Amino acid sequence: MVGVKNISAPYIYVCTRMRVRKAKLLPKEEYMRMLNMSLPEITRLIGETEYKQEIDELATTFKGIDLIEVALSWNLAKEYQKIQEITPGNLKQFTHAYLRRWDIQNVLTILRGKMQGVKAGKIKEILVPAGSLDANVLDRLLPEESIERIIDALKGHRMYPVLAREYPAAKESGSFSRMENELYKQFYAEILAEGEGGIKGGNLFIDFIKLDIDIKNIKTLFRLRADTFKEDAREMHILGGALSATDFANLNNIDDQGEFIDQLKAKIRQKLLLSLLEEMRTEKTIRDVEVRLTRVQLEQMERMSKRNPISIHPILVYLEKKKYEVFNLRALARGKESKLPSEKIAEYLVV
Amino acid sequence: MAAELVAAVDVGMTVEQIKASQMGMKALGAGIAVGLTGIGTGIAEMGIGSAAVGAVAENKDMFGLALLFTVIPETIVIFGLVVGLLLLFL
Repeated sequence: MVGVKNISAPYIYVCTRMRVRKAKLLPKEEYMRMLNMSLPEITRLIGETEYKQEIDELATTFKGIDLIEVALSWNLAKEYQKIQEITPGNLKQFTHAYLRRWDIQNVLTILRGKMQGVKAGKIKEILVPAGSLDANVLDRLLPEESIERIIDALKGHRMYPVLAREYPAAKESGSFSRMENELYKQFYAEILAEGEGGIKGGNLFIDFIKLDIDIKNIKTLFRLRADTFKEDAREMHILGGALSATDFANLNNIDDQGEFIDQLKAKIRQKLLLSLLEEMRTEKTIRDVEVRLTRVQLEQMERMSKRNPISIHPILVYLEKKKYEVFNLRALARGKESKLPSEKIAEYLVV
Repeated sequence: MAAELVAAVDVGMTVEQIKASQMGMKALGAGIAVGLTGIGTGIAEMGIGSAAVGAVAENKDMFGLALLFTVIPETIVIFGLVVGLLLLFL
């Protein structure tokens, strides 16, 4: 009876729907087939899958790579909005919180686009209105002439204090990277606080977020190692994971790869991640490291969702896997457009 | 025979009263059997039914299979019904 008491019908309903949707995602074989296809062939193949509606709707307005890009963005946004509609109770709150990361991505895309003088229509093509800022709000931001006005228009939004605080420095340096770091730090701190707010199922949500933070911190560490110039590591550290700010800074100061891996392994508990770190003893390209870490993250998330089949995990796993499917298709299309060899494109895929 | 036994532990009831009481107990047993198995079936079908509706919402072709899986726990309540009928009529 204990098990029955903790499981409600709407949770089972949504988790099953997520599992069915996950099963519909493109399998590895499809990507391998697409690697040997031309761009129009890929467009046609995508048009026969879950992206059919978007490809059909947009085919009259866009052509080639633009058609794929816009169709993928539209499909991703539609999918995320649909999931937010069907998730019940606490799951809805956690899903909303998790998808707020798209607000950061959308706002930064607009700011970067504006700074580089890209047309509003072109920026709109790559926005994914899946977070708390819906398509209407983003449409209102796009025609604004200056970045200051865009930031002012976001007054009252949870991102506003960070945007207003960081913009002067970003304007001076011409780079939004510090602002991006600060926004993500604020985002993770907020969603961890939401998970710890005593809501039922919050601990499972926190487990998922902590894994995400760990992987992000490890990726940052590897990126810093690959970098030629030294930066202040503490600024890039995200709080809440297995690595404290001091551990992060200490790890960043280790020059020897073997020692770095040993020290990092001492802080990590996940078996999958530990075995991957062991393989990282030999120097690898940063792209390879990132793709492998992402694969391990998805695999670990998948395991978590199987361990807790009726929880927030199956929903979040689907959100992540869908995101990477869109990334993969975009990478494939862009790679084909740039006439990159298939082997090179395959390196960028997270399958 | 039954009446003699009952007489041995005389509680001041007539044979008719005892027979009626036995019938009542059987009816109570049958009710409990059907009722509890009904609750069990309901709980089992809650999970399967929710999952089935979720699966059908995503893929209409699953309808037949989903319906079949949903009614499988009906066997539990049928067992209860059989036990109830056995109690009442045997």
